[in-house]
Amino acid sequence: MLASSVQRSKPTPYPSKARSALIRRAIVVALVLVALTLVTISFRSPTAGALHDVQGAGSTVLRPFQIAATRVAAPFRDAYDYVHSLANAKSENKKLRQINAKLREKDIHRAALAAKEQQLAKLLHFEQGRAFPNDFQAINVAVIAPPSGPFSHSLTVEAGSSSGIRLNSPVVSGEGLVGIVSNVTPHTAEVTLLTDPDSFVAARDVNTQVRGMVHTGPGGTLILDQVPKQLRVKARDVLVTAGTRNARYPDLYPYGIPIGRVSSVGATDTATFLQVQVQPYASLGSLDAVAVLVPKKPRR
Amino acid sequence: MTLGDGVKAAALLFVAAVAQVSVFAEIHVFGAVPDVLLVSLVAFALLRGSVAGAVGGFFAGLIVDTASLGTLGLTSLVLTLAGYWIGRYGETTGRDRAHAPFLSVAVVTVLYQLGLLVVHFVLGESAPAGAVVRSLVPAIVLNLILTAPIYALVRRLLRPVQRDELTAEVQLLG
Repeated sequence: MLASSVQRSKPTPYPSKARSALIRRAIVVALVLVALTLVTISFRSPTAGALHDVQGAGSTVLRPFQIAATRVAAPFRDAYDYVHSLANAKSENKKLRQINAKLREKDIHRAALAAKEQQLAKLLHFEQGRAFPNDFQAINVAVIAPPSGPFSHSLTVEAGSSSGIRLNSPVVSGEGLVGIVSNVTPHTAEVTLLTDPDSFVAARDVNTQVRGMVHTGPGGTLILDQVPKQLRVKARDVLVTAGTRNARYPDLYPYGIPIGRVSSVGATDTATFLQVQVQPYASLGSLDAVAVLVPKKPRR
Repeated sequence: MTLGDGVKAAALLFVAAVAQVSVFAEIHVFGAVPDVLLVSLVAFALLRGSVAGAVGGFFAGLIVDTASLGTLGLTSLVLTLAGYWIGRYGETTGRDRAHAPFLSVAVVTVLYQLGLLVVHFVLGESAPAGAVVRSLVPAIVLNLILTAPIYALVRRLLRPVQRDELTAEVQLLG
């Protein structure tokens, strides 16, 4: 029994199913071919031709439906936009704050550069002007340590003896006299300011030719001292360095460097001299760059 | 498929195509656009089979290309194949499976995007593959969110066909 072969019945064909599969495939192939034909025609003439006209007409027909759909969706879209903007507001705010901080930083940096540039321009103007002493040369230096407080009357510049700076060299800014070099190292120098209690500068009133000595008076203000009461000094008069009067005793400051302007003049019956208060031209607390005046001929 | 079913299906796909072009195309979430037309087509093809899916995809694509004044036939081509393939899946393996709509939407979303990318590339048009790939996951998520309500709506609109009405090439032996 086991060895005998079993006659298998012939498989039953499924003509209807096979035919439907064929039809199905034919439909899909036809649709794909039509789509490919449309793509080809449309791609070859995208802006002209019958197909383009049909597409245009179809688009015109669809337009009202599109507008209707847009109008129906408008309230939902508005609601979505509202929620979306609310959700993004926090992160956007953070981002804007960061941008704002960066812009502020840049603005401050630019303002600082502009202020520095203004000082340098004034300094250059002074060095090229008529008030600049001929027998001196200017060494322009940056201020690396400004006066540290109200009781400090000196600043440090980033050049020293290696740049040609010498002790007792006058120091000026674009506005006027700053002080004198009081200490020198190879690469830095200390400048004692005009407002230092030990600083004395022989000065002359440009308007009245009256001479005196500029130094810090009681209370810390700058005064023009040693002016006899009978001499005439007015408020707003300009004071410059008096320069050398006797060649045997040369002055440390050359003639004509602007010092400041007379801010007030007073006199008492008991005092021998006038009480002349001076407002210095140089902004001694906010200097970025100064010029050290070094004599062209070395002093004996 | 009866005439009534045909009219309903045509109306469904027409509304979905118009809504897709006019409304949903402007919604961008993480670089992806929710595709209500694709999800509707998947639901329709699962319920009505491959031929209906292919025909539906073809005409829905024509509406999209006409309304957006794009290259005529381009979307049709891709949607025809998508409708046919999902229809076949519904007729065979995916029959009566609860996860079939979700699986179909996820797979078709990827194939549809890649298909469009390939067609655009072949035509020499702009085909930003990086942007498409990056937007795939968000697109799948968005379409999956749409799947449940749209499938329920389409199922309600078009009565599911009995098993014996569907074409079946897979013969179960035994």
